[in-house]
Amino acid sequence: MSTEPVLGEPTFLWDDDPPAPSPSPGPAPARGPTDEERTGVPAEPGLWIFVLGDMTIFGVFFVVFAHYLGEDRAALKASASALHQQIGAVNTLVLLASSYFMVRALHAYRAGSARLRADLGFVLVGGAVFLTAKVAEYALVLADGHRPGTELFFTLYFAVTGVHLLHVLIGMALVARWRAVSLRGRSGRIFAEGVAVYWHMVDLLWVVIFNLVYLGATT
Amino acid sequence: MDTRRLLNLAALGGPAAVVVTLAGWLVAGMLPLPISPSASPSEVLSFFTDQPDRVMAGFVLSSIGVVLMAPMLALISVHMLRMEGRVPILAFTQILTAAVTVVVNLFPQLIFAVGGFRTDRSSDTIVLLNDLAWLLLFTGIAPFMIQNVVIGLAVLRDPAGVFPRWLAYLNFLVAFAFVPDVLAYFFTTGPFAWNGVLVFWLALTAYCVFLVAMSWACRRANHLLLAPAPAPAQREHASVA
Repeated sequence: MSTEPVLGEPTFLWDDDPPAPSPSPGPAPARGPTDEERTGVPAEPGLWIFVLGDMTIFGVFFVVFAHYLGEDRAALKASASALHQQIGAVNTLVLLASSYFMVRALHAYRAGSARLRADLGFVLVGGAVFLTAKVAEYALVLADGHRPGTELFFTLYFAVTGVHLLHVLIGMALVARWRAVSLRGRSGRIFAEGVAVYWHMVDLLWVVIFNLVYLGATT
Repeated sequence: MDTRRLLNLAALGGPAAVVVTLAGWLVAGMLPLPISPSASPSEVLSFFTDQPDRVMAGFVLSSIGVVLMAPMLALISVHMLRMEGRVPILAFTQILTAAVTVVVNLFPQLIFAVGGFRTDRSSDTIVLLNDLAWLLLFTGIAPFMIQNVVIGLAVLRDPAGVFPRWLAYLNFLVAFAFVPDVLAYFFTTGPFAWNGVLVFWLALTAYCVFLVAMSWACRRANHLLLAPAPAPAQREHASVA
């Protein structure tokens, strides 16, 4: 026991007087890149584990959907024609527009421009419009008598669009956080670029969902 | 046993849980291909009563296996205390939700074992026990997701790099991988059924990756914990934002 390294008090119990620094610190801890350290990829490499992994999970969703589409094409086509394509199309344009404002926001962020807050505000408006239209669309689909538990197409429709909507909500929370931080200072590069990458991913996934579920299933 | 060996042993809890639990499921017959929610009552009955000793032994083994992760889950919070310093809300949330996940993982194994306890039960009762165990095991996703998110947040906020930053994003991904599990209530066949690709296989894979990755990161962080380091209050505090 005498050779055992001495552990200090649990960190959260330390009082305000820090212990004297050790003459022989351990190996230098690995640090995350600072704002100034450009990594060559947006945000930081680790983020792409999430982005590519999440898109792979959605990819499995899409393969599953296509599989069912091939199994009973006629029935799915009949169900899909009951979808409100106009709302889906409007939402596609809204998300694409919000991605444009996200690009502007990132440029403004890098230039240190005050336009950042306005651009992020437009992104949030886009997210809110998407959310509102989606809820209205759900209400219309349910009012038409389609239930997620009874028709295969609508089960898949609610599952895929619902999980995507969760992504939109998280994206809006991240954008709101970025905007709130920008009101009183400058957020970190990794956070800003990470939010932008996430938002574009959500947009990209929606474009695939719109093409596959709203358009592809009806043709 | 010195502290270093104790910490490194605790870090092995995750992989040990994976190996012992999967071995138990293999013995019980839950693997390689789990029983479908669309299986007939007589099929469910025969799963539990054809070889009840094998089923009970397998699920007793898996009920031990899933708890082996507990020391590693505690170790994760030990490392998170170092990341957070004086206000370790994320570390406490992690250890709290981790305790819940152990319970959520443990009880279904015992309910499965109960299914093999009597061979004269009606198939209705067995089907209920089977449904209960499966749906408890897979649809109570919130403690798992909160655990992943607080680990991820702590890692991103940590300026000292106790855990590598990519581990934060892996945790967020694992949290998302659990989302489809709640759809198991609405399906008895296909990828969203409890034995489907997007429920059983995705969640199982994600959770195993989580346990092994956290084990690796904990062992890597153990030597940093044992090396004397300045108090966190001295560090410059980074923020997620």
